[in-house]
Amino acid sequence: MKNIQLILNAILSKNIFEYTLVDRKLHVVSASDGVEKYLDRSPQKGDDVLDYLPELVGNEEEVKKIFVKRYCLYTLESVYKNDYYVNISIEYCDQNMAIVLLHNITAVTMAKQNLLQYSNESTLLYNTLQKVVDSQNALLFVTDAEKILFANKKFMDYFNTVDIEGIRKKKLDLYKKFNNELENYHELFERVNDREEHIKIGEDTFIIQATLIESTHKLFTLTKITKLSNAMEIDPLTGVYRKKYFDLKLERLLKTKRNFALVVVDIDNFKTINDTYGHPIGDEVLKEFSSLLKQSIRQDDLIARWGGEEFLLALKMDDLQKAMDRIEALRQTIDNHGFGTVKHVTASFGAAWRNQCECDDAGSLLQRADKALYKAKNDGKNRVVWKKLEKRGEKCII
Amino acid sequence: MIRKKILLLGDFNVGKTSLIRRYIDNTFDDRYLTTIGVKISKKILELHGLECELLIWDVEGATPRKSIASSYMKGASGAIFVCDVGRSETMESLDEHIKTFLALNPNAHYVIAYNKSDLLSVQQKEALELSGNTFLTSAKNASNVEILFTTLAKEMLL
Repeated sequence: MKNIQLILNAILSKNIFEYTLVDRKLHVVSASDGVEKYLDRSPQKGDDVLDYLPELVGNEEEVKKIFVKRYCLYTLESVYKNDYYVNISIEYCDQNMAIVLLHNITAVTMAKQNLLQYSNESTLLYNTLQKVVDSQNALLFVTDAEKILFANKKFMDYFNTVDIEGIRKKKLDLYKKFNNELENYHELFERVNDREEHIKIGEDTFIIQATLIESTHKLFTLTKITKLSNAMEIDPLTGVYRKKYFDLKLERLLKTKRNFALVVVDIDNFKTINDTYGHPIGDEVLKEFSSLLKQSIRQDDLIARWGGEEFLLALKMDDLQKAMDRIEALRQTIDNHGFGTVKHVTASFGAAWRNQCECDDAGSLLQRADKALYKAKNDGKNRVVWKKLEKRGEKCII
Repeated sequence: MIRKKILLLGDFNVGKTSLIRRYIDNTFDDRYLTTIGVKISKKILELHGLECELLIWDVEGATPRKSIASSYMKGASGAIFVCDVGRSETMESLDEHIKTFLALNPNAHYVIAYNKSDLLSVQQKEALELSGNTFLTSAKNASNVEILFTTLAKEMLL
């Protein structure tokens, strides 16, 4: 007993432990003075310890095993008692006595609680955000340069996978679907940032948009437009607008006071390309040609395929000279580009400058651009010809 | 007097502490303060002429990274499994909590609380199919809280 007292004194000197000694019936034998702060009142000799520690109710038999198996230990962690957090542990003292130690862990538990609170709130927020992104109809995915790091449920469902690992195993490399020459998602971001580009995945057409999250991480949004686009907006081969949709956009543009150039572009000798290399190669030329045009125009410019090898551009410029320079630069870009199998392709450009003359409507603009294209072809192709609006008195002559 | 240990078990932030507070003190506070460890509350009931002290264990909720400590569950006579009707994942994890609890306490009784029912519309409540031991509860408006605890107590004392 003297030894036990010495040990207890050593423990108590740390000021973080209090104790109660109990007999085999779990009745109090003695208790330290400080134990009262955890138990409301000071235990008296002979009291049932369960009156003070209801945490032991239901576990009486397990606690009593301590008297039989001396190395057995009963512990209960992080128990809130009287504004304190304590660990309760019961250990063998001798065959008739066990010690119930109350270890004050309030400070560390409060710190843990702060962390847990933060962690749980973060989890709730994460789960809510996950539900928000999963509820979107668009396919969302976040990437670093090389790989997809996060994707919403719609994305997983579309690519028939359940988790991000499944996506990685599929090696989707979506940047290659946009353009086979792209090396990674950063390059895809550079190409689609602040634009409304189209991407074809399998039989489906999507609008792809990109948002910068961090310099290293990008968010991409794929909005499926297959039905709508195939029906009226998008030319399925080249991914640019159809003429009908271009006309709607052109009408809207004409209602603004912006100056712009309307350009009809026609690939030179396209029939010869088809006849020489076959239609599949001809289609590749059309795709590459339209891709070059798309890369060379600005975000708010318009591009459409009129049909066959003919394309329409509406380039918003304030100054006619700058517009002329830009279109000439476009012609040179095509002239200098290496087109896969065919290698060299040229195009003729017929351009009309939109001024705010009353009679300058979509029809007249298009007519002038078309006449200019006719002249460009007749003059030897691979050139830009402008057709100005002529005024005779009060009349505008196209 | 008979003493019975019961636990409230479930995922974090489903309203376990709020249910106890409503049952013991008839109060409600909608600020979320996570429970750490365990806190025991007492309630004396008289059922079938017997006086019984319920020792109600408010146990730290399970999180995706931490399950409920089995040391808290041992020796329990009953449990109330709580989920949040607004968070389907908390409803889905009930089976796992029940399985763990019954493995440690095979003779124990339990009831289920679909809590935060005040967030549901009348139609949503009607659409829920509840089994006999499941209650649509709200610690906020006290709906079915009393009957939740007394049903479990009666089953334990029968």
